[in-house]
Amino acid sequence: MKQNITVIPRHGSSFKDKLFLPAIYDGVKVTFKHLFDNVTDINAVDTLEYPEEQPTDITDRYRGLHRLTHRADDTVACVACFMCATACPANCIFIEATEREDGDDEKMPKSFFIDTLECVFCGYCVEACPCDAIRMDTGIFSLTGNSREDFVLNKEQLLANKGAFGEEISCARG
Amino acid sequence: MSEMVEVVVDDRSYNAEKGSLLIDLLIKEQIKVPYFCYHEALGADGNCRMCMVEIEGQKRPQIACDTFIKEGMEVRSTGENIEKVRTDILELELINHPVDCPVCDQAGECSLQDFYMDYGLNDSKISIPEKVKGLKKVDLGANVMLDQERCVLCARCTRFTDKITHSHELGIIGRGDHARVSTLPGKKLSNPYAMNVVDLCPVGALTSKDFRFKQRVWFLKTVNSVCHGCAKGCNIYIDHNKMKYQDDVIYRFRPRRNDDVNGFFICDEGRLSYKALQEERQKKMILKHKEIFENEALGAFQRLLDIYKMSITVLIDANLYTEEIEAIFDFAKKIGANVHAPLDVYRDEDFHDDMLRSSDRAANSKTIERLKIETALPTKSGLLINFNHPQSFESDALVNFSTHQNRNGDLILPMATYAESSGHICNEDGIDQYCEQALHMNDPVPTVIEWLEKVGS
Repeated sequence: MKQNITVIPRHGSSFKDKLFLPAIYDGVKVTFKHLFDNVTDINAVDTLEYPEEQPTDITDRYRGLHRLTHRADDTVACVACFMCATACPANCIFIEATEREDGDDEKMPKSFFIDTLECVFCGYCVEACPCDAIRMDTGIFSLTGNSREDFVLNKEQLLANKGAFGEEISCARG
Repeated sequence: MSEMVEVVVDDRSYNAEKGSLLIDLLIKEQIKVPYFCYHEALGADGNCRMCMVEIEGQKRPQIACDTFIKEGMEVRSTGENIEKVRTDILELELINHPVDCPVCDQAGECSLQDFYMDYGLNDSKISIPEKVKGLKKVDLGANVMLDQERCVLCARCTRFTDKITHSHELGIIGRGDHARVSTLPGKKLSNPYAMNVVDLCPVGALTSKDFRFKQRVWFLKTVNSVCHGCAKGCNIYIDHNKMKYQDDVIYRFRPRRNDDVNGFFICDEGRLSYKALQEERQKKMILKHKEIFENEALGAFQRLLDIYKMSITVLIDANLYTEEIEAIFDFAKKIGANVHAPLDVYRDEDFHDDMLRSSDRAANSKTIERLKIETALPTKSGLLINFNHPQSFESDALVNFSTHQNRNGDLILPMATYAESSGHICNEDGIDQYCEQALHMNDPVPTVIEWLEKVGS
């Protein structure tokens, strides 16, 4: 079998690279350029006066707080297949499955917990979901609470989270 | 013994019995061959057509499950042609299959899923406007649920009720796309071995109502063990899982093949005995209705031994491991106690049948007999030390080593069940079998041997 092999040249072996000084000079140049800009014009500093000022640049690819999507009839789209829990590297998704009685599917989650304190917001659960039932498109980037238990989101809380980018209903279980 | 002949499979030669089935040789030699309908216990049926191999001198590919081995046979189980045949048959199999793996309990141990990964992985050439619909949730009885859409019509389940249990409850009705497994109208699947069809079913058509939706199979850890339901000692797999922040739990028992003991199957009662094993466990040490700590318990036990040292009776449960029975026997000799293990309580003639179930409901009564332990009922004694024997007898003081919460007595000490420890049991035919430890509890209770070591020290 023919194999496509690309040989990538190795960098860093030239005299200039081994000297390090040119590279250090390049870095320091950038630092001083910003220092000079900021000192001369204070308004150019990229600072957000959070929380009075909220970020406006959250895109639809931003991995915010999770939510569970709905079907057209407002029921939960999740079929409790445990793909998200299997993919989760932090093991922070806890699902209990039960029989779904309305005939749409056989299975649905009886309980669905995400421990957001353990979650690393990697988005693997969203990737793994075959039903487009879990998403991280709420745009919510901060979650506050008074106790550890406040950060363990249950099924109702996850279903109540709204998508921030217009798509409300699961694309696979609509 | 019939004649052995040489056959060549994929350029390697093997010795096999003349006239035996080719697929048996392939399975024995672990040569990859896909199949749904063939099963070593049920024989060849030849309906799934998955086990196609090429045989030198034959025009078309042949099914390995209905080909008899002949002298000088040359077989090819791999190659472009045969892979194409398998892919095409699989494609036909998948025309009406719902492909609802996410909600299917079989996902992870499904032959169709495995073969698709091996031979499929292609888009179907066949497009139909709508798949044939079937009933998704049919309760066949005996804890078996049928999903007609997922069925590949391998007829393993119907052949099981015909050939193994001879109860003939299941049959395939309808033709073509509308063929489906069913029971007779108004009749249910009901025989003491019915749940074996769940293991036999290569796909998710038959699932166990008992295990359904409890766990995905890829989370389960499996150990080899032996059922303690009766003296037959059927080999089982214990599937258990310790979920995060929870304790180790057994989710199901499955039969493990052992041709000397149980073959491929176990009875439903044995299969479901995992529930009683974990429910209402004795976890606390109790002295006269009050919970105590271990050093107090050992002190109290020692005091009782000293008070009644002239008149002690030790009762042994015939379900304990051989190692445990021997340790108790030695302990009893050391303290000069009478040892009894009445076996009549374990007799249950109603349980007995001609397949696997034995009327002796004790797993290790052979060891009691081998050690010549007294099986008669004990007379009244000063102190009775009961090691989980189901009966109780008259005594002035009573110490119960117990796995479950159904005991009273002056001193109750919890002990580990067979799933929480390992050891041997000897079945009614004298076959000694090893059981691995399945459960590793968060708060383990001591085994009998650990208790006796603590008492001795």
